[in-house]
Amino acid sequence: MGIYIFNWKTLKEALIAKADQPALDFGKHVIPYCHEKGCPMYSYEFNGYWKDVGTLSSYWEANMELIDIVPEFNLYEEYWKIYTKSEVLPPQYIAQDSVVERSIIGEGSEIYGQVYNSVIGCGVIIGEGTVVRNSIIMNQTKIGDKCTIEKAIIDEYSQVGSGTQLGAFPEKENDTRPDIYNSGLVTVGEKSTVPANVKIGKNSVVFGETVASDYPNGVLDSGRTLIKVGD
Amino acid sequence: MRALGIVLAGGNSRKMGALSHKRAISAMPIAGSYRSIDFVLSNMSNSHIQKVAVITQYNSRSLHEHLSSSKWWDFGRKQGGLYTFTPTVTPDNSNWYQGTADSIYQNLLFLKRSHEPYVVIATGDCVYKMDYNKVLEYHIAKKADITVVVKEMPEDADVDRYGVVRMNDDGRIEEFEEKPMVARSKTVSCGIYVIRRRQLIELIEKSAEEGRHDLVQDILIRYKDVKRIYGYRIESYWRNIATVEDYYGTNMDFLRKEIRDYFFKQYPDVYSKVDDLPPAKYNPGAQVRNSLISSGCIVNGTVENSILFKEVFVGNNCTIKNSIILNDVYLGDNTHIENCIVESRDTIRANSHHVGETGIKVVVEKNERYVL
Repeated sequence: MGIYIFNWKTLKEALIAKADQPALDFGKHVIPYCHEKGCPMYSYEFNGYWKDVGTLSSYWEANMELIDIVPEFNLYEEYWKIYTKSEVLPPQYIAQDSVVERSIIGEGSEIYGQVYNSVIGCGVIIGEGTVVRNSIIMNQTKIGDKCTIEKAIIDEYSQVGSGTQLGAFPEKENDTRPDIYNSGLVTVGEKSTVPANVKIGKNSVVFGETVASDYPNGVLDSGRTLIKVGD
Repeated sequence: MRALGIVLAGGNSRKMGALSHKRAISAMPIAGSYRSIDFVLSNMSNSHIQKVAVITQYNSRSLHEHLSSSKWWDFGRKQGGLYTFTPTVTPDNSNWYQGTADSIYQNLLFLKRSHEPYVVIATGDCVYKMDYNKVLEYHIAKKADITVVVKEMPEDADVDRYGVVRMNDDGRIEEFEEKPMVARSKTVSCGIYVIRRRQLIELIEKSAEEGRHDLVQDILIRYKDVKRIYGYRIESYWRNIATVEDYYGTNMDFLRKEIRDYFFKQYPDVYSKVDDLPPAKYNPGAQVRNSLISSGCIVNGTVENSILFKEVFVGNNCTIKNSIILNDVYLGDNTHIENCIVESRDTIRANSHHVGETGIKVVVEKNERYVL
């Protein structure tokens, strides 16, 4: 699980011995070194909830598990509270014609559309007539009106224009990094802009401020990568 | 700012009924995640007042809990800061605060040892945003002795629970009546005063010598012909919460988008104590419409035109309509709540039925809560 307790003497000795090892790694170098040296090493079996959220699909799954009626990992336990950096935010507003079911929603969000089986962060706005299903929408992201969002992960401070569809078309393998963008998810990176009235397929990724001309015929097919910032 | 702040938060209000049984009015929860006193403290912080004293007395436990740290409103600093003054027994005084003026008199050393030329006095039971610098500028321009912030109430408003004033064209207050039987104007005092610190010390000492203890009756009204007392009109949203109806109405105002945007999206911010709470959770069967839901809530039933404060649990098949559910309330299955205010930390048994027929009903059920 990547959780170790060392005697400081043993660790110090190992780190000094392996000082010249490039990309020194606990699992690959330090632990095997201690083992070869014959240090007494023991494992501790942990039987509680534990999940590595280091891939998009496991991250998505872990979030979806939180919305179960009684999740295995219960955020509402009185004991073993989870602390976080929290800001002063008003309560969330659920509008007259909205539907929210089987979801968790953060403070300060405003829901005017429909949200099912989703995890919505703080300060998110979901516009009128928009339907969000099986998705993760992070803090301060704004979704316009009449959008359809299915199985998407949308990072913080992003904007999705009205009438846009995420998670359209039959599934295809991602053209650049099928090892990362898979499981049928649509990924939108942080501070990204998705224009209005476009259709985006599955296993696709959008990152950066995209405009309508980035979407020929208003379409980004499944498996396509559209990255306009960084590398 | 060249002023220090005093927040009068010691009072009780019989008009709050059962809601004031366990907390001071200034500690009343507002708009899901705030307390009444947050508004005045945020105003002081945003007006760059660096030194604020909160005077507490009645039922002050929950208020002190909320004022646990000065950092929530950014008063945590080396100079100045946030002070709370609760009555204490001293060799020459064993009385509680006998009035608002007396509460300042008993802490007069705080004023005497300060160096700020002005004092802003405000109550902790009003919801508004205000830059007190504007009032101070007006106060100086009018060469006033005391400036009182006033609000023009609508023609049909019932003002007999307020201090009612009448001003001349220059803004000087000519008439000031506290809770009049028949009000002769719709201009009410907001309980916000600006005064020179030395002037305040002088007036408070004089009143104490004469055995007078009330800031409004014994200073504002008594001195209105000898001192230059001016009214400064507040044009923006201002509402006092000290009756059940006004408390309910103020909270319900936050269901309106323009009110929420004014308080929560437009500069300056309103600050409060932050908790570490999980997001609100909507289980299958949840139907929520036109409502404010705070963090830590779990909703299984129907919620309409209502405000759920923090950590409220709504059971299966419940219907909550036009109601305010305060912090940490557990509502058992099949409960029907309409036109009610449900007191915090309450446990409402399954199949309960509470409807405010003629007005707002305050629900206080002291049931045991079983750990599920």
